[in-house]
Amino acid sequence: MIFFTEAVQYLITGLLVGGVYALMSIGLALIFGVMRVMNFAQGDFLMLGMYVTYYFAAAGGVDPLLGSLLAAPLFFLVGVVVYRTLLVRLRKGRDPQREMDAQLIVTLGLSLLISNAALMTLSPTPRGLPSSYATTPFLVGPLLINQARSYAFLLAIILSVLVYAFLTRTDLGKAIRAATDDAEAAAYQGINVSRMHQVAFGIGIALAGTAGGLVATYHPITPTVGMDFIVLMFVAVVLGGLGSVFGAFLGGLLIGVVQSLTLLFFPLQLQNIAIFAVLLLTLYLKPRGLFGQRVREV
Amino acid sequence: MKKGSRRRCRVNGLRFATIVVALLTIGTSLLVSLAYLPSSSAAADVKIALIVPLSGRYARQGQLKKMGAEMAIDEINASGGVKALGGANIALVTADAGDTVEKAVSAAQRVLTREKVVAGIGAWLSSFTLGITEVSERLHIPWVTLSYADPITERGYRYVFQSSPVAGIQATRALDLVVDLAKANGRTLKTAALVGDTTATSVAFLRPLKDKLLPAKGISVVVDESWSPPLADATPIAQKLRSAKPDIVFYGGINFPDSALFLQKVKEFGLAMPIVGVGAQMVSPEFLDVVGKDLVNNVMAAVASHPIRGQEALIEKFKKRTGEKFMTQDPLSTYANVWIIKEALERARSADPTAVRDALAALDLTSGPAASSLAPGRIRFDERGRRVGATPIIAQWQGGEPVTVFPAELATHKPAWPWH
Repeated sequence: MIFFTEAVQYLITGLLVGGVYALMSIGLALIFGVMRVMNFAQGDFLMLGMYVTYYFAAAGGVDPLLGSLLAAPLFFLVGVVVYRTLLVRLRKGRDPQREMDAQLIVTLGLSLLISNAALMTLSPTPRGLPSSYATTPFLVGPLLINQARSYAFLLAIILSVLVYAFLTRTDLGKAIRAATDDAEAAAYQGINVSRMHQVAFGIGIALAGTAGGLVATYHPITPTVGMDFIVLMFVAVVLGGLGSVFGAFLGGLLIGVVQSLTLLFFPLQLQNIAIFAVLLLTLYLKPRGLFGQRVREV
Repeated sequence: MKKGSRRRCRVNGLRFATIVVALLTIGTSLLVSLAYLPSSSAAADVKIALIVPLSGRYARQGQLKKMGAEMAIDEINASGGVKALGGANIALVTADAGDTVEKAVSAAQRVLTREKVVAGIGAWLSSFTLGITEVSERLHIPWVTLSYADPITERGYRYVFQSSPVAGIQATRALDLVVDLAKANGRTLKTAALVGDTTATSVAFLRPLKDKLLPAKGISVVVDESWSPPLADATPIAQKLRSAKPDIVFYGGINFPDSALFLQKVKEFGLAMPIVGVGAQMVSPEFLDVVGKDLVNNVMAAVASHPIRGQEALIEKFKKRTGEKFMTQDPLSTYANVWIIKEALERARSADPTAVRDALAALDLTSGPAASSLAPGRIRFDERGRRVGATPIIAQWQGGEPVTVFPAELATHKPAWPWH
């Protein structure tokens, strides 16, 4: 009975953590799926999202949950600007391999620039939002369900569903998917592929910023915090199948659950090893990840 | 698009990428060096290296250490510099140890081979110090460190001087204090939890507790959990503490967010056992902003130094020049370390690193800023390079400020027992 209660507690904790991982991962998956850009700076946009939410709360008294939503349009604009000034210029070539290399280097450089600029301007002093709901649980029988994480989880799920609906139900979403599947054919249909990329990148960055705001409700904020999340995001995206938004969502949830449930049987020290063991096993059984698309061979 | 223009575009794309990255790299390193390089150094200056983390997850501690060193240097230079060297000023050569042992070691190699330094200080994290001192030992440059881990002075090195009590001693003293405190409050400690990360300091603190100190007191270990920073979530630790209900928790966490997550979970799970941590990061002011003062109240930490009775003027001066809320071990120790090197220079009458090393080994100070900063007020190193009689301080959060509660003769406040 005690074991059962503990197992449920770990499962819930895992799901709550995983929900936010899922939200931050779908941003990365969307960008990769649509543009084939591995955005290494995603973690740093997440970090900036944490700071924006923090300053909204500290200076304007805005509730962090609301603040994280307010961050979304702001980060969409940032995404568009980054796309227009940096990434669009790399897309003019036609050699996919070189284009990929250039993108990797640019996003990695962007990541270094953002985190170091944050270190200089925002100082390394950790900040945080000592909200009451970060340390108050909902009591459900013997289970403790953290309030901040529950709110973050709910918002993350709602936003994920909205993104999914946007991609499958709206004309713009369908156009983005068309540009993903076959850029050339989409262009012949009158879809402005570059514009679709721009929108997708903007949404991807907006999701990172919002996820950051949600994380800020329970996690201390430092200029290097993005590094702690970027690896998890990549694992989630690869686990779910490169480029699949739904896959990344499940991948994120799965990581949270694996991270947590491992502790029923193994010491804390092995927590992250378990994640990578699951990743390797998945790739061994399904080399394209859980929901990976077949890649067209040319 | 024509073929030729396509190729040109591709080349342009790559060239653009290269330029962007080059600019980013140059920009970042310029910014970082502008921020962290010493401002000026006249020809006759004596240089001291300070290698501490200024980027990455431990940057805050490095920043604090730099504040302390700069304060000591300003004092020394304002009062006539090193008199034995004709009033030479002391200049600080700062380098960034980053967030990995490899980066710390390469920073040491770079600075210690390129700059002519008489001695060095650093690098906060014991794991880094272990790496850096291998370089300084090889180059015969004396190294004064605050790092706690016992192995730093167990390798037979001649150029390493540890101004802090080692972690093993801190664990012994912290345990003695809490056992006495419990007794005074009519409690006997029977069970303990050991929770901490896998960095050298935490291990050096927790392992002796587990292996010999706790068994010797008849206290059994009921929870023993460790992780490599960063900690994803502290729920499992809180869960285990809730099930096992230890009488006391010994905590060693070097990464600030890990400790904040841990304290939040302790509160959330309604756990009320006393917590004794190791290291100044447990009593750093940022806890007030990040988790609030209620969560840290009564948390104790064994530290190498902390403001003690009689240091009020120093603390005020530090707060005024830096705007910090209070002075903790990190600036206090570098402040003391710079003064220790200054005293050694006066006695060596030379800026030769080996002469400075010999002077450090022969040092016996009982007065002056160096001696008064570190308990119990005497600076003397044994043959291994450990400071003789170095006493850990136990600081405790009381009403939103960490205060010294042990040893009693240096304490500014009485220790509070967390259980009521």
